[in-house]
Amino acid sequence: MQTIDFILHKEEIMLKKISTILLVLLLLLPTVFAGGKKEEGPRTVTINVWTREGDTNHWRADLATEAAEDLNAQLIAEGSDITVVAEPYIDGGDWGGFKKKYALSADSGKAPLIVISGHEDIATWGAAGYIESLASSVDEIKASSEQFADVKANLWESASSKGQIWGIPQDTEARPMYFNKTLLKQMGWSEKEVEALPSKMADGSFTLYDMLHTAAEAVEKGIVEPGYGYWHRPKKGGDFLQFYVAFGGEYYDAASDKLVINKEALIKCYQFQRDCVEMDVTPSSYIGTEWNIWHDVVSNNKALFFNGGTWMWADWAKNYVEGGEATLFKNIGYGYEPSGIRNVKGITLSHPLVYLISTEEASGSSNQDLAERLISLMTTTERNTRHAVESGHLGILDSQDSYAPYLASKFLSSTGYLLDNNIFQPNHPMYGIWYDSFWDNLVSAEQGEKTPQKAAEDAIKVMKLELEDQIIIK
Amino acid sequence: MLPAAVLVVLYFFLPVILTIGISFTDMSSVTGFSNWKFNGISNYVKIFLHPDSLRIFTSTMFYVACTLCFFNVGMGLLVSVLAYHLPKKVGGFFKSLWLLPRITPAVVYVLMWTMIAADAPYGIINQHIFAPLGLPTSNLIPNNAMFFCILVNGYIGASFGMIIFSSAIESISKDIMTSSLVDGAGFFNRVRYIIIPQLRWPLLFVTTYQTLSLLTSFESIMLLTDGNFQTEVWALWSYHKALNNYYGNFQYGFGAALSGVLVVVGVVFAIIYLKFFKFGELVKEPLIDEM
Repeated sequence: MQTIDFILHKEEIMLKKISTILLVLLLLLPTVFAGGKKEEGPRTVTINVWTREGDTNHWRADLATEAAEDLNAQLIAEGSDITVVAEPYIDGGDWGGFKKKYALSADSGKAPLIVISGHEDIATWGAAGYIESLASSVDEIKASSEQFADVKANLWESASSKGQIWGIPQDTEARPMYFNKTLLKQMGWSEKEVEALPSKMADGSFTLYDMLHTAAEAVEKGIVEPGYGYWHRPKKGGDFLQFYVAFGGEYYDAASDKLVINKEALIKCYQFQRDCVEMDVTPSSYIGTEWNIWHDVVSNNKALFFNGGTWMWADWAKNYVEGGEATLFKNIGYGYEPSGIRNVKGITLSHPLVYLISTEEASGSSNQDLAERLISLMTTTERNTRHAVESGHLGILDSQDSYAPYLASKFLSSTGYLLDNNIFQPNHPMYGIWYDSFWDNLVSAEQGEKTPQKAAEDAIKVMKLELEDQIIIK
Repeated sequence: MLPAAVLVVLYFFLPVILTIGISFTDMSSVTGFSNWKFNGISNYVKIFLHPDSLRIFTSTMFYVACTLCFFNVGMGLLVSVLAYHLPKKVGGFFKSLWLLPRITPAVVYVLMWTMIAADAPYGIINQHIFAPLGLPTSNLIPNNAMFFCILVNGYIGASFGMIIFSSAIESISKDIMTSSLVDGAGFFNRVRYIIIPQLRWPLLFVTTYQTLSLLTSFESIMLLTDGNFQTEVWALWSYHKALNNYYGNFQYGFGAALSGVLVVVGVVFAIIYLKFFKFGELVKEPLIDEM
């Protein structure tokens, strides 16, 4: 018996030891993963460059590697003993996840020195102290580098907040209203009428409702299947702001730095979305359609009108259309997003991505000056053009207007004019909340779950509650 | 006991306390984790006054109740009872099939559903069933969104109950099962009077565990509809507010308050279940010691 007791006692002690070791290991586990990298030495500066979206957009981050070589050459010439190592990182997730990753890393002092994200993040990340203010005026930032002086003047607005410049534009785009020329001709439109459509979209003589009626006619004539007359973006995204603005909506008051909602315009915008379904030009159960289906439909002559981004052109040519760009040019035309009000000019939404530099507190690095120099070298005409042409984004530099490789891209050079009448989303920290209520109720209105009036009232109620004194209701 | 106690405190109680603590602050992406302020119960007042609160709460209850009744408990019980009455190998095969949704990565699994429901010519149902019958085709998810959410979650959840119930049925004394047949009980009477009464403890466990699990699960809904078409459930609302705003301003304080409400609801459900299933009687010492 004593032997058994002894063995049991030994086993009990052993179990206790194992439990204690496991417990300690479990407690230490987070610290092992949170350990991070050690500094690589006093003369080597590692600059992490984060962005998302690989594939045709990979140069956003990958340009940093070759820019670092140029920077090192400059540093050697200056007699500096610093070597810069750029570490690009392309996140494969969605924007929400990417922004969360950056915010959490910044709060724990481990943010990358350079992050490339939407310009609207400036307001939130600036207020949180994650990113550096780079200059107090456009002139000041332009004076700091030859490349920054080359950036198109109107793009600085998107990089500004509270009188400061916080970012350097990396790329921009437009969100045209595309139309299918082949299908329009099948409807009986002449070549001349088709060619004139972009200018009619621009000057307001072809409105959003003209588009709906044309699409309904195409359905009626059997040119397109019911529900395939007009396809808007199938998922959440900034594009829908254009429709609200097209009906006279305002969203930001710069003087008071407050967001604005205009009830009448909101109702009209929601009514338009519902009419798309009721006129049978958009499917009744459309929102949430998978992107691969959407791209296939719009790029292969199955939809008459569709609203998308310029960056999609490169994707369609590469991944969806037989014959690439040549087929696209044969079938597809593009212009401004038509206005909802006759004789009011068409617009487009631009959403520049910007290079942002993390503060010392957020990144744990004091090499912000080197990060700015690296960005400058990523912004050369040749490098930015390489990204623009490959990804279908519009140029951000004045020099690109006369740069042969940029001009060689027929699509980019023929869409650049859209930036003449573009809007940006506001750099306001609460814009995301504004947009959530706007979007949620737009879906309800389009689906017919709420009347446009009720959807607008509900959107305003939520904005009032969640935005408190940050919203002006008109 | 000590290691278990430390683990429970560290990984269960502390997160709840932290969440409740954060819910009394204005913490967001704008304040970061350093510049926040206590704002009392204003996040809870906001929830109370929010025009969407009642709708989202009702959707959540509907989603939890339907998934629980028809799949996580109902289907789990049905599959385990039917499989028990089939030859062992055949029953085992069907039970293995039900495990497939659980072992398939969520993103792939939900993508399969979206392609099943997509409009013709891309969707399986529309292209191969509706179109040949001359029925109108459309993406089936938006108009039946909650139905699909329940289906998608249910097919994953049913396997959990199935495993628990199957092993519980297997452990019912063979003498009782056989004598029920001798006494002339048919299939339904055997299930009603022999099997289900023996499953009270596993039923309590699966119902309670799965209720709490469904209240806080949202990943497949997020992947399927992202809360559109009236499918925003409370946990997804909390996630959207606290951690996944499209434009990146995360409302940690408000999101934590939404989670706080969920903790309270979960506790209330747990207490109701413990009373309803007479938990006290189930854990009573047996009158006769087993040999």
